[in-house]
Amino acid sequence: MQLPRYELIAEKTLMVFEFTSEGPNGNIQKLIKFSETSLKNFYNLAFGDKDIVSGEIDDTVVSNNGDSEKVLATVVASVYAFTNKYKDVLIYVTGSTKSRNRLYRMGISKYLVEIKRDFHVFGLIDGAWEKFQHGKEYSAFVAKRK
Amino acid sequence: MKDIKILNQKNLPVVRIDNSLEKYVKLPIFQDKVDNANEVLRTVGLPKVIK
Repeated sequence: MQLPRYELIAEKTLMVFEFTSEGPNGNIQKLIKFSETSLKNFYNLAFGDKDIVSGEIDDTVVSNNGDSEKVLATVVASVYAFTNKYKDVLIYVTGSTKSRNRLYRMGISKYLVEIKRDFHVFGLIDGAWEKFQHGKEYSAFVAKRK
Repeated sequence: MKDIKILNQKNLPVVRIDNSLEKYVKLPIFQDKVDNANEVLRTVGLPKVIK
């Protein structure tokens, strides 16, 4: 899957990535972070906009920069880089809002065939994990590199 | 050329390293998401097939 994506910058452990979204609302710096959780090898993936002045990160802001697909492709690229370095990890993702979750779900659904070549993907629904299926309203996702 | 082909097959992006990002590694950003992940781990656990 070689979709258009932004150049990724990272620190050497590949836990934190940065890229710049370009669109009608200007250049917006985005930060991606893979955070440790209470379980070894279970990482939370989150990303948001970086305020250039304060350096603060906001994962609730809607950038409306007309490039959501390219942004998601860039985040997926960071998952490839991270899971190439850390082979046995599980990546947990949930959106800040229902609409953000819907965006993630649509992104996974659209490229599910390609994603499943390289990852096991699961969705959380009704308090249980199941293999990701089209058309279901998952509240969170887990991916593991094959 | 062979290396580039391998990279493309693996969907691996080219990543530029910038050490100025190191400050974010220990910074507790997205902590609400991490808390959510821990809560799901506690209440739901892992997907069965990869337990």
